[in-house]
Amino acid sequence: MVLLLSFLCRLALVVGLLLSLQPSMAAAEDRHAAARALLVARCVECHGEDSQEGGLRLDSRGGILRGGEYGPIAIAGNGTEGELLDRIRTADADERMPPSGEPLTADEVASLSAWLADGLPWPGAEGNADRDPRLDHWAWQPIRHPDPPAPVEAFQSLPGVEPDRNPIDAFVRATLAKEGMRPTAVADRRTLIRRLSFDLLGLPPTPEEIDAFVADADPAAYENLVERMLASPRYGERWARHWLDVVHYGDTHGYDKDKQRPNAWPYRDWVISAFNADLPWARFVAYQVAGDVLRPDDSGALEATGMLAAGPWDFIGHVEVPETKTDGKIARHLDRDDMVANTIGTFASVTIQCAQCHAHKFDPVSQEDYYALQAVFAALDRTERTYSPDPAVMRAHATLDARRTDLDTQKKALEARLAEAAGPRLAEIDKNLAAPGGGNATPAFGWHSEIVAASRPTAADTEKWVQVDIGREIAITRVVLHPCHDDFNGIGAGFGFPRRFRIEGSSDPTFATNVVRLADSGPDDLPNPGTTSQVFAADPAAAGAVRYVRVTATRLAPRQNDFIAAIAELDLLDADGTNVARGAAVTSLDSIEAPPRWQRANLVDGEFPGPSADAIALRRERDELLAKVPLEVTDGLRTLEEELAGLARQREALPALRPLYTVTATQRGGVPRPIHLLARGNVSTPGREVGPGALSALAMLPARFELPAGAPEGARRKALAEWLVSPDNPLTWRSAVNRAWLHHFGRGIVDTPSDFGRMGSPPSHAALLDWLAAEFRDRDGSLKNLHRLIVGSATWRQRADDDPAMTAVDSGNALLWRQSRRRLEAEAIRDAVLATAGTLDLTAGGPGWQDFRIEHPEHSPHYRYDLADPADRSTWRRSIYRFIVRSQTQPFMTSLDCADPSMRVEKRNESLSAIQALALLNNGFMTTQAVEFATRVAREAGDDPRAQVDRALRLAFGRAPTDEESTVLLELLRAHGLPAVCRTLVNLNEFTFID
Amino acid sequence: MTSTSHHGSAFPHGNSSPLSRRGWLSTAAGGLGGMALSSLLAGEASPAEGTHPALVFPVKAKRVVQLFMAGAASHIDLWDHKPELVKRHGEESDFGEPVEAFQNGLGPWLKPVWDFKAHGGCGKMLSDAVAPLGAVVDRMAFIHNMVSTSGVHSAATLLQSTGFILPGFPGTGCWVGSALGSLNDNLPTFVVLPDHRGYGSNGVKNWDAGFLPAQYSGTVVRPGAAEPIADLHPHASAQWLTTDSDAATRRALARLNRAHLDGREGDGRLEARIRTYELAARMQLAAPEALSLADEPEHVLRMYGVEPGKTDWPTEINVPEETHHFGLKCLTARRLLERGVRFVQVWSGNDNGFPRRNWDSHEDVERDHGPLARGMAHGAAALIKDLDQRGMLDDTLVVWTTEFGRMPSSQAGRGRDHNPFVFTNWLCGAGIRGGITHGESDQWGYKPLDRENPTTVHDVHATVLRLLGLEHTKLTWRHNGVDRRLTDVHGHVLTPILS
Repeated sequence: MVLLLSFLCRLALVVGLLLSLQPSMAAAEDRHAAARALLVARCVECHGEDSQEGGLRLDSRGGILRGGEYGPIAIAGNGTEGELLDRIRTADADERMPPSGEPLTADEVASLSAWLADGLPWPGAEGNADRDPRLDHWAWQPIRHPDPPAPVEAFQSLPGVEPDRNPIDAFVRATLAKEGMRPTAVADRRTLIRRLSFDLLGLPPTPEEIDAFVADADPAAYENLVERMLASPRYGERWARHWLDVVHYGDTHGYDKDKQRPNAWPYRDWVISAFNADLPWARFVAYQVAGDVLRPDDSGALEATGMLAAGPWDFIGHVEVPETKTDGKIARHLDRDDMVANTIGTFASVTIQCAQCHAHKFDPVSQEDYYALQAVFAALDRTERTYSPDPAVMRAHATLDARRTDLDTQKKALEARLAEAAGPRLAEIDKNLAAPGGGNATPAFGWHSEIVAASRPTAADTEKWVQVDIGREIAITRVVLHPCHDDFNGIGAGFGFPRRFRIEGSSDPTFATNVVRLADSGPDDLPNPGTTSQVFAADPAAAGAVRYVRVTATRLAPRQNDFIAAIAELDLLDADGTNVARGAAVTSLDSIEAPPRWQRANLVDGEFPGPSADAIALRRERDELLAKVPLEVTDGLRTLEEELAGLARQREALPALRPLYTVTATQRGGVPRPIHLLARGNVSTPGREVGPGALSALAMLPARFELPAGAPEGARRKALAEWLVSPDNPLTWRSAVNRAWLHHFGRGIVDTPSDFGRMGSPPSHAALLDWLAAEFRDRDGSLKNLHRLIVGSATWRQRADDDPAMTAVDSGNALLWRQSRRRLEAEAIRDAVLATAGTLDLTAGGPGWQDFRIEHPEHSPHYRYDLADPADRSTWRRSIYRFIVRSQTQPFMTSLDCADPSMRVEKRNESLSAIQALALLNNGFMTTQAVEFATRVAREAGDDPRAQVDRALRLAFGRAPTDEESTVLLELLRAHGLPAVCRTLVNLNEFTFID
Repeated sequence: MTSTSHHGSAFPHGNSSPLSRRGWLSTAAGGLGGMALSSLLAGEASPAEGTHPALVFPVKAKRVVQLFMAGAASHIDLWDHKPELVKRHGEESDFGEPVEAFQNGLGPWLKPVWDFKAHGGCGKMLSDAVAPLGAVVDRMAFIHNMVSTSGVHSAATLLQSTGFILPGFPGTGCWVGSALGSLNDNLPTFVVLPDHRGYGSNGVKNWDAGFLPAQYSGTVVRPGAAEPIADLHPHASAQWLTTDSDAATRRALARLNRAHLDGREGDGRLEARIRTYELAARMQLAAPEALSLADEPEHVLRMYGVEPGKTDWPTEINVPEETHHFGLKCLTARRLLERGVRFVQVWSGNDNGFPRRNWDSHEDVERDHGPLARGMAHGAAALIKDLDQRGMLDDTLVVWTTEFGRMPSSQAGRGRDHNPFVFTNWLCGAGIRGGITHGESDQWGYKPLDRENPTTVHDVHATVLRLLGLEHTKLTWRHNGVDRRLTDVHGHVLTPILS
């Protein structure tokens, strides 16, 4: 009844409008906005940019007035007629729009009707009738640089409250005054140094540091303390951890098998060094997206690209399933999705994954935007690249590579002249010489599988294998497959050579266990290689020694009506280059035993097809042709080839390069995959192709990257990097300052730091956010300056005291009427335990320390934390250097809400549970460190129990014990020893909650 | 840009949306007085029962036990009777369309390894390998037209356990715990009983809390192990710790934490954390009692096939060993459910390594599925009968699943390749109409008979939630700008299987 009444009221309003009565402007605008929002929420998924069912678009005024395939659907100024209204009002469920979900309510119909009656007003800049109302959301607007408000006079002389210290206070206190609230008194120095130390370094201050600061008479004592901390290497270790949460860094792949990723850590170390060096934010961002392109000879910039590969990766979906299969396509689609989300969610704080299936329901992010971003990363695969941490070596490589490119160009030019001078016959001869070779030297052709009839579409994918037993375990460095030659079926050279295959080694003749991959033919079908020997380098360091080597054809060679696999000879070269396969025992899944031509033993008899008999004649003819070519061309070519060989030698002479887990475009020769719009995200139904670009919601920046045809892959990422770090991009700068703010106050100005869209929280202090973003951007993007500003504010220095009157209004402290007491993160708790016990090993950088043992490494490693020795000192380093396993997260850290490396964590959860209490009481790490802590106390305080309790409390909390604490702890000490006291202290609330 | 005119209006879309539990949790964590303290310990101290906004239906099930077969159990050899396959055994397989199989295992049609016989009043045909379940088949509802969106173990396992094919989403039990809390503060809300050999694909990602707070994670319990719950007792190396010093530490903690509270009373988290230490002490007593089989009579142990203390098993996979281990987990599950644990997940099968110790029978269905299926069926049947005789089956839901099915064609002669196109689930107990089959596969067990109307994991999840009284579209949690659900944007309650 209420609805009906409301509907009638609105009808009356419409009637009123038609009678030219003037309702309030604001009310009408609200109603119009509601109508437009309704279209966005319920209609544009099928009648919008991505899909135009019935040829109809309802995402612009023009579209609505144009109508669909069957003509107009609405008339401006008519709120009662037209198909639009008919279809949403009809009682026929088959006819009614929208086709799914609840029918529109009477209220909603009325608002649409009123809007139509008013003439479909569609606000926008300069009368742009097609403007999307969602573009008015705060996040898409340019950053203003507002002047700070005048200080609130009343707050400048409140007892205990500091006067404004910088503009942050002016902004915050202006809001407090407006809300009738007041700031809280400044914290004492003991509280400030402890808070500051955890904030900036993630570690407690020592009792001596506390005493010195408390006693420091220098008026700049606080500022000096801030400077000392910002200059500490511990600062980067603290703040890098916040960043690694957001980009979901890990040291294993995750998913099934969860293989280790032993060379991911250089990225982690780069983040730490970037924070410590206060790398300007624009560079910090740009390097992570395109450092390899922007600064090719800078190892740090390359390490930065580890961000693109930081997230989980489906080994099976990429390695065991080819890109041609649906599951392989899905895996690669999700891989790009991870890169897109990691980039845009992290740097720009926009969530766009929903746009892979449909236009974003809440934000102006179209499917085309989403796939344009996928196109930026379309050439990339995750891999290990080699590089040098020494920029000089990188430069030397870059110089050599540049010279080689130069020489290659010159060589091409000379070859063109050569071809011209020698005539077309030369090309023919070269083609013949390069072409598949001639016949067999002896009748012993090779091994030949049984024949698979082409009765099924997938017959070619029947697996056939052949293997040799070397007789002992040996490290293989190279595998050579020599193709067969047989004129049967008119095939000749390359007869039966499989189109795809893998080469594996094992210590198990059944290949049921301990299987290592030596090489494979790659993701695509090989062309017929002729009789050219196929050489594969194996990595003995990775594969280890093997006794059995198996070649498994995974796609057979086609003949007229069937498929086979045949190989003339298999060479397995050891480190000395000796062919250890020669004469080995050969077994196979099956074989056509038809000696002398076909039998298993032929695979290792040293016989395989040689070059064509007439090659000699061809070479003679070639020499004659070359005699006609000017000497400068032939000599020039020779000189170039010599220099190229010299370059190759120089390259080998340079210091060894080291591996880095990141992305590369080389697996696809730098060619991006074509990226198509996918209706509902379905990889099996690609729509139109999309070029590289970014978000179209930012009016101030180009949404699509206009790159010249054939531009290298890196140009796409470079363009995205430039788009992100443009001073005009409002998202990047707001995102950065908001993330920093979160870690200083426990809550961002925007409480959803990775989502500035409409589903996220609006800023609690919008003007302050813009002021900070502008300051940050315009002052070199220096994060350390931002820290100075924030921790220098009176707002940050307030006490964390409770005030029931204020709590009643703002319990979450969104308006910052006090500082928020913070629970330490898992890493800070663990590091503080080590620091308090005096056992913290500050060794920085390098491969992660491991507090687990690995069982069954051959297939799916079992990461056994329960088997680790808590007394192993190699694990007493800072938590940021922990080796992070995705499938089996560290149970102790997980109980303390450690970030899950499988997801992008914008803000840590805060939970309290019995399991967490048990972990802090009983985990081997805690009990071991309690003993270490006690040993330290005894060493530093001597034998007097009272002195021991005093020292222990000072180490744990930086203060002297109260009388009650002394009594309780002394009693505990006398009855159960010092370790029991130390165990108690690190379990107290005061240890994990910082005022 | 709008400026804040009133703080209350500053966060209309924020985490304090009325449908989000996180909203009131974070409010409480900020120190709101008057909030029941137990709310802070959601999942351990019960949140005020029946308060979750998604709790809108009558509660049919109070607890759930999910049986998960890692590696992909064959519907064709266990549940889904296909006479046509027996008839065409050995003939070249012909699916009538191109088939993309994971390892191209498209050999000749392969009949079920075991014969099928009719069971129960409903006459359901079951394979001899799962014959013990025949005794309870009249309580079971089968779904033979389940489909997956992935044929890759990791993704498909995640889909079953979390509703998504990517890691990082909460397990089903986490969602349930977050909505309903615990029935017993002294035990975890969600317990996971992994295969005794190790975890399946994705490890803990199948049951950890993802973006939900860590307290909703599944707690791993290893029945029969020296330390069945991690950190329940001090680490073995801490010989200096005695029961007495443990108790003294706990007393000192309580007293000093109370003193620390002085002047900080407004921060509910501090009080809540004091309570977690009290709960931990109670859990130290409650968990060993719940996991001990000392008071189980001999006939119950026999019913579950459990042989306490036996360790000298053969090296080859065998029926008595599988029966013992699966039965032990089922018996433990019953004890936990009896004591108020909300959600128990029981795993059969380790990772996909060699020799096969899970259901991924590419090489030989009989060799692997034989012992695994007989062990599983024995334990599952015992669990159902035991729950029934204790009057618990009426409000306990049993759900059997696996990541996908296996192909009706042969691979390497005796094995079967992955079949994500169709497979089987069954449900039993609370609110389930027994003795029925909902949804059929085609004549081969290759795809759903009605390809337009398959059943998805989201449908099953929506149904499980409905039986717990929850509307699946209302059980949401905002993460990175999206209101996440166990059922993503899908899911229809399977009303035909509801009693």
